[in-house]
Amino acid sequence: MEKSTAKKKSILAGTSGQLLVVVLVIIALVIFFYANSTNFRKYTTLVSILDYSYYIVLMSIGVTFPLITGGVDLSIGTGLICYSLVGGYLISFCNFPVWAGMLVSVLFGTAIGCLNGVVVAIMGIPPFLTTLCTCMITRGLGAIIVGGFGISWPTAKAPGGWFRSIFKITLESNRKVPIGIVWIILIVILMSYVLNHTKVGRYTISIGSNKEAARLSGVNVKAYHILAYAISGFFAGLASIAYSAIFATVQPGTGAGFELEAIGGAIIGGVSASGGVGTIVGSMLGVFVICLLKTGLPFIGLQANWQQIITGIVLIVAVLVDVIKKRRGIE
Amino acid sequence: MDKIKNNSLVKKIGLNRVLLVCVVIVMYIAFAILSPSFLSYKRILDTLNYMYFLGFLALGVTFVIATGGIDFSIGPVMFCCALVSGYSLTNYGVPMPLALIMSILVGGAFGVFNGYMVAYWSVPPFIISMASMNIAKGVASVFTKTQSVSWPRSDAANGWYRNLVKVGNFPVGLVIFLAVAVVCAIILNKTKIGRYILCLGSNREAVRLSGVNIKKWEMLSYIICGLLVGVAAIFYVACYTTVQPGYGDQYNNEAIAGCVMGGTSMAGGLASISGTVIGVLIIALLQQGILALGLNKNYQLIITGIIVIVAVYFDVLGRRRKN
Amino acid sequence: MGEVILTMKDIDKSFPGVHALDHVQFELRKGEVHALMGENGAGKSTLMKVLTGIYTKDSGTITYEGREVEFHNAKEAQDAGVVIVHQELNMLNHLTVAQNIFIGREPKKGFGIDDKKMREDSAALFKRLNIDIDPAATMGDLTVGKQQMCEIAKAISHDAKVIVFDEPSAALTEAEIEELFKIIRDLRRQQIGIIYISHRMDEIKVITDRVTVMRDGSYVGTLITEECTKNDIVNMMVGRVIYEDPKTASLVPKDAPVVLKVENLNAGRMVQNVSFELHKGEILGFSGLMGAGRTETARAIFGADKKESGDIYVNGEKVTINSPQDAVKHGIGYLSEDRKRYGIVVQKSISENTTLACLEEYMNGLFIDKKREDETAQKFVDSLATKTPGVDQLVVNLSGGNQQKVVIAKWLCKNSDILIFDEPTRGIDVGAKNEIYKLMNQLAAEGKSIIMISSEMTEILRMSDRIIVMCEGKITGEIAIEDATQENIMNLATRDIG
Repeated sequence: MEKSTAKKKSILAGTSGQLLVVVLVIIALVIFFYANSTNFRKYTTLVSILDYSYYIVLMSIGVTFPLITGGVDLSIGTGLICYSLVGGYLISFCNFPVWAGMLVSVLFGTAIGCLNGVVVAIMGIPPFLTTLCTCMITRGLGAIIVGGFGISWPTAKAPGGWFRSIFKITLESNRKVPIGIVWIILIVILMSYVLNHTKVGRYTISIGSNKEAARLSGVNVKAYHILAYAISGFFAGLASIAYSAIFATVQPGTGAGFELEAIGGAIIGGVSASGGVGTIVGSMLGVFVICLLKTGLPFIGLQANWQQIITGIVLIVAVLVDVIKKRRGIE
Repeated sequence: MDKIKNNSLVKKIGLNRVLLVCVVIVMYIAFAILSPSFLSYKRILDTLNYMYFLGFLALGVTFVIATGGIDFSIGPVMFCCALVSGYSLTNYGVPMPLALIMSILVGGAFGVFNGYMVAYWSVPPFIISMASMNIAKGVASVFTKTQSVSWPRSDAANGWYRNLVKVGNFPVGLVIFLAVAVVCAIILNKTKIGRYILCLGSNREAVRLSGVNIKKWEMLSYIICGLLVGVAAIFYVACYTTVQPGYGDQYNNEAIAGCVMGGTSMAGGLASISGTVIGVLIIALLQQGILALGLNKNYQLIITGIIVIVAVYFDVLGRRRKN
Repeated sequence: MGEVILTMKDIDKSFPGVHALDHVQFELRKGEVHALMGENGAGKSTLMKVLTGIYTKDSGTITYEGREVEFHNAKEAQDAGVVIVHQELNMLNHLTVAQNIFIGREPKKGFGIDDKKMREDSAALFKRLNIDIDPAATMGDLTVGKQQMCEIAKAISHDAKVIVFDEPSAALTEAEIEELFKIIRDLRRQQIGIIYISHRMDEIKVITDRVTVMRDGSYVGTLITEECTKNDIVNMMVGRVIYEDPKTASLVPKDAPVVLKVENLNAGRMVQNVSFELHKGEILGFSGLMGAGRTETARAIFGADKKESGDIYVNGEKVTINSPQDAVKHGIGYLSEDRKRYGIVVQKSISENTTLACLEEYMNGLFIDKKREDETAQKFVDSLATKTPGVDQLVVNLSGGNQQKVVIAKWLCKNSDILIFDEPTRGIDVGAKNEIYKLMNQLAAEGKSIIMISSEMTEILRMSDRIIVMCEGKITGEIAIEDATQENIMNLATRDIG
């Protein structure tokens, strides 16, 4: 009996172990790239890795919630572009103040998230199919609303460009400070609290762990199921702001594939593809692994396109680890 | 309504399919009224062009959905097939017949990979789809060094492959497509493969306990899908010539929409090839209609998305009522 | 024992085709442990479901704390202080123990949940119950026994006045049962009324004050535990009904060869060192109570579940069976107790189900020979007297008995010589039952060998040539049909004081 307890423990309590592995992978990758490329050692590289990671990390924090319920949200990638286009359009063509445009982006994202939640939780349509559809719908919607053209949010020097310094401050010495990481860390702390110490998080985990048991305990399962998707949409909205702040223009029709990086990051970080398990910190660290690969590979002479293949493979490996762990658990 | 339901002919064909045919007719008339150009023969050929590749994708994914799985890597994989074989054709001098076979094999390879992961490693199908989608895009980009590939025009050397779609003004493609659809229907309904695929989609545990190697048959459904995706790629380039790496996502949804509209259940076990054929015809009509009305493809994305959700909802409602 | 807290009077409940509860009486006092006993299907669980509001009664009254009550769902009953500790655990494995106990009613602190208070309250609860579990441990890491303790603690934390234990000890080890009894005695001291459902005779003697016995949905009687013997209870459970033509002698010739031999089969806790032989033309009855490990044994033999060790011989030859494929190849067929999940493909036709295991034989080159397939299906429809308009009929439209015949046809079509019938007549009405019995006898006479797992005593006595009794994963005895009585089977099926 003692032995079987110990065995079981290693399976379920493996989350912190996986986090440690992810941290080690990050360190190993940094050392590897650092040793093999002089360009990688520059300060600007660090800044650009962080730049490119913000929006993915934000998406992955959000998508962690539907993933923990045992679902998925594939609409966050094209959704992000859609929300950014709409916000930017209102600022550029309708004279909205920047803050209002940002607000619209976030609200739009939350609305699409709620829609996903209702279709999944109330209509009972499989999550991957629902969000595959909203993925296409947001892609079309964004393009139609802005008329098919790229949209630029105000540049750093233009009026209203202040929002770009939310993520990156340029000092007088022209040195750039990636201030965004501070916000990201604060958000990660906040959402970790939400996931672990509030009803929202508790019931999200419960839905992924044993939905029926949660329902029988009097939990309003449907409402919290919808909420998980709403959170995912809300964070896709936040991510759209981060994206707008980093890139000069936003093109309609793009964004497909971002969701893979976010979901892949979450799964690498220990979220189980079958629900019930996951941490926000893990999701963030998982995204860093992907972003390091994405930014680092070109430095050692590998085409940027390899990154897509590698992301795909890394995702499968992460899921296989999960599957094998579970098989061991059964035996 | 009950009278129609009980009509023996309707019963034989299936109410669902009768309704779908009505939808096709109504759509055609409606578009013809809104845009007279819709009646032209050219427009019909354009509609068929869109139906071919989409149809092959949908036929393929019908097998996967019949097992209760899903594959939404088919669009990008189709582009990967067209790009890899096309690039070999134009840059490495691979002869045309070989290039065509190559396209089918690349699709088959993805099918083997997806099927193996799903059947033997129990990786959830949506995860493997996501991964394959990106691997396909990546492989295509790496292979072509991120260049678009143009297949030969009909008057160029090697242009004969276009006869697969059209000789003069005769739509050969339609004949081939329908022939393949018939073969698919036979496979699904008359052979062991189809029998086991449908049964395991309906109740995999009962089939396993009957001593059937379910892993093998489940994997096979993904392989069939992959091969048909390779065929779809050939018809795509024979109609549209140029392929660019990094695209193809939207066709996932359109092919799946064709399937579920045609009566194939997302829960598995129920599939209809004829339904899928009519389903993709509707999607193709929709695409042409939207163009004829002067709208862009973005409307198509939205409408297809809504169609899928509504069609699957009907399926869910039907099953709920039965229980 | 204190005053009466709960009275159930003349409770009547019918389901389509079944009179599940026939004017049942039950009484519970404060500070009493009251055992509820009966064979499988006697109506114990139904009665408890009526009590806790999961089922609505047709007639009768429930008086609780002096008032007549009718709960509409489990939550209402829970709020009133009537809770049930289920046999199957309803746990959220990914959450901690404290989180599980307070799920759905977490104490608040600002925006968040007061996890500290939850842990402290849980710890206090465990202390009161003398349970040694860390409230911060993850539920999935605990042993089944500990999880059961948590379930009990959760029930008690609802301020329960009446607690129903539905076979609580089924998954527990000796030491854990001791702990459970300590808790129950504590609860008794706190004047809580306890209903204890169990098949274990020794437990009943040790822990309970009174025993109420049910049989076939009716109330048989109530005894005071101290004053009765195990035999009194067994006699009440099995009753004195005379059954139709019980078998009086084995129909198997003495020299019939052994077709299946199982040696020291082990597969988890439910299958321990199982060894037996099956002769040609024999119907070997596997008797025992629910959860005795009979289905698990069958599934392990059939390769449906992994086995840890053990040898299987078919016709004297040692065979390796790692999957149902292997088993089918060696001529074994398994008819599951849960037809809908494991037996038939409900959305497919009779023909398709009939040939599911032997499709190879109906291939005409690449294609399925639909005509021959239909002919064969029709042949079995005729010979088994399956009631259906045609072989194209979807199996979902058939009645339970006819579905069972389709499953039998599947294995006959494959020409399997060894058939494992797991609860062959569960959910089948009386008329169809007799047909299935006739069929099984006919099959045995034709030289097929049958293992019949059944929880119905009548069925075992009527059909078997020989009876093996299992209890808690072990074979506890083998009885020739000539010597078999309900009493000696029940004695082997319930664990003795030792």
